[in-house]
Amino acid sequence: MINRIASFVGVRGVIALPMIWLLVFFLLPFIFVFVLSFSTIRNGMPPYEPVVNFKDSFLQLNIHLSSWERFFENPIYIGTFLSSAKTAFIATFLTLLIGFPMAYVIARAPEARRHLLLMLVILPFWTSFLLRVYAIKTILYNQGPVNQFLMKIGILEVNSPIQFLNTDFAVYLGIVYTYLPFMILPLYANLVKLEESVLEASSDLGAKPFWTFWQVVIPLSYPGIIAGCMLVFIPAVGEFVIPDLLGATDTKMIGKTIYVEYFNNRDYPMASVLSVVVLIVFVAPFLMMRKWQDKLAEVNDA
Amino acid sequence: MNATDLRPWRDPSQKPLLQIKSVTKKFSDFVAVDDVSLDIYAGELFCLLGGSGCGKSTLLRMLAGFEEATEGQILLDGEDLSGVAPHERPTNMMFQSYALFPHMSVLKNVMYGLVHGGMTKAEAETTAMEMLKLVKLEKFIKRKPHQLSGGQRQRVALARALVKKPRLLLLDEPLGALDKKLREETQFELIRIQETLGVTFVVVTHDQEEAMTLASRIGVMNDGYIEQIGEPREIYEFPKSKFVANFIGDVNLFEGEMIVDEPDRAAVLNDSVGEIAITHGVSGTLGQELTIAVRPEKLEISKKKSAKMLNSAKGVVEDIAYLGSQSVYHVRLDSGKLVKAFRANRVREAEDDLTWEDRVVVGWDGSSGVVLSQ
Repeated sequence: MINRIASFVGVRGVIALPMIWLLVFFLLPFIFVFVLSFSTIRNGMPPYEPVVNFKDSFLQLNIHLSSWERFFENPIYIGTFLSSAKTAFIATFLTLLIGFPMAYVIARAPEARRHLLLMLVILPFWTSFLLRVYAIKTILYNQGPVNQFLMKIGILEVNSPIQFLNTDFAVYLGIVYTYLPFMILPLYANLVKLEESVLEASSDLGAKPFWTFWQVVIPLSYPGIIAGCMLVFIPAVGEFVIPDLLGATDTKMIGKTIYVEYFNNRDYPMASVLSVVVLIVFVAPFLMMRKWQDKLAEVNDA
Repeated sequence: MNATDLRPWRDPSQKPLLQIKSVTKKFSDFVAVDDVSLDIYAGELFCLLGGSGCGKSTLLRMLAGFEEATEGQILLDGEDLSGVAPHERPTNMMFQSYALFPHMSVLKNVMYGLVHGGMTKAEAETTAMEMLKLVKLEKFIKRKPHQLSGGQRQRVALARALVKKPRLLLLDEPLGALDKKLREETQFELIRIQETLGVTFVVVTHDQEEAMTLASRIGVMNDGYIEQIGEPREIYEFPKSKFVANFIGDVNLFEGEMIVDEPDRAAVLNDSVGEIAITHGVSGTLGQELTIAVRPEKLEISKKKSAKMLNSAKGVVEDIAYLGSQSVYHVRLDSGKLVKAFRANRVREAEDDLTWEDRVVVGWDGSSGVVLSQ
């Protein structure tokens, strides 16, 4: 009996811990941000009007819709959303395009070599993210090694380097480079479970290699593809360091806009509105996909 | 030889469907298949039998095209298969793990090969449905593989491999994952389907009983070699080596030197039995070391020496295993050698019942033993 109680408490405890974690570090902050989006700026500390006021036994709710109004009326904000989504979408697609073959090769490599290859994928994490972005900056610089090399072998004329830095190309390169491991790892975890005999069966039944890939490998890697794309797309949407350091000054990314509203304009309510919209527009659909992914995983594991 | 004879390998004028000519397969230093030559005829159900690591699966994978032979040739209908990719071969394989496509329904699994063979979806569906009826799965066509039992999955795998009517169907341990009862039923089901469709089967198995039940002929493999090829009865009654005699069924081996070598009789001197008489001629020379293999059901066991026992030895019953249809007696001969004898339990209340510690005589006649020189 005591054992049973202990195991009951134990199981509950195991579930409760992550729940408490999510409550404290995700739900509560989100509620603060959500409430803050109905506030308005003022001079002073904190730089916004309190939404909930309790004075002399009198509870007052001050709901300002001005930030929300501004969000929907000023096309810059919606435009920023669209441009972030586009950048994140293209970057995610490129990451998938590069990550899939890499994950496939690693998963099909002899077991002893797989660990080494995985290590190489993870290795860049040992260096700070910021340092790596600065390293890209140095490499792409007009007088940097890439341009110098192209000029030396004669593809480019001397003293006419390509402007890599502060372009969309540099932003895509930065995002793809930074988030590639997040694509490769879930894909690898998925592909490594793929039985060789299933691929052989497809070939044995007369399917050419391309069809085996398209009709067997790809559908069986959906869980990995979805997980990898989520892990790349969500942070890429909110990315502000990479567009800030590598992109053009007019690069519109929502993360950068939130940063500017928050730290430069000290407009906490507007930053909150943007944060809430990011969550609703980008994260909610992915959470729904997550359910779909679970269903797929169930099919594949059985 | 008449038209109804179903044993084309006995007819030298028949052309084999599949010819394996001195095929060797090496994985770096390891020789998996060593100089194997084998002819398989159309309509046969050929079993490759051997323990794990004997090279039988590697040989099958070479037929499917998943492995290339290091040396030698594989001809199907006289055409060399080397360099022909698996998806271009007129062979299909049923995998040991079944290798069903987990994301496709039963129907889609069976249709897959047909669609890739150039059929339209509608044609493929009709053909696949016919095959699924043959394996009695027409009620499960919408299910995914993970919603099926092991036996049902096995039948989907069979249907998928058979539906293209391959020239040669390769089956890798087709019944290995089923439990004993289901396995026995499925063996006969497999024979029925093979006879209905007339497709040539090559089955790889480690289970000698399965091979005996299924096969028209068996190839016994050991260490990459083919030890013997023959009909089940031939393999059992006339094994050519100690390995084959031991691998198929139980056997008692008596070793000794040949002391009589005449055209119609021979004899071998053994430590346990003394002079073992053989009532037919033996190819060998005087003084040669030979082994006499006697199957346990051909050993007679009784309290007194009977007239039929040309060769006999005395011993003590050490162990009895009652198996219902028969009993297995372990008899310790006076020389210390342990022999096994089977007795069918034909009478419900046996009179002269042997029991533990009884002094008995075991013996056999002059033609029941197989003389092995290797």
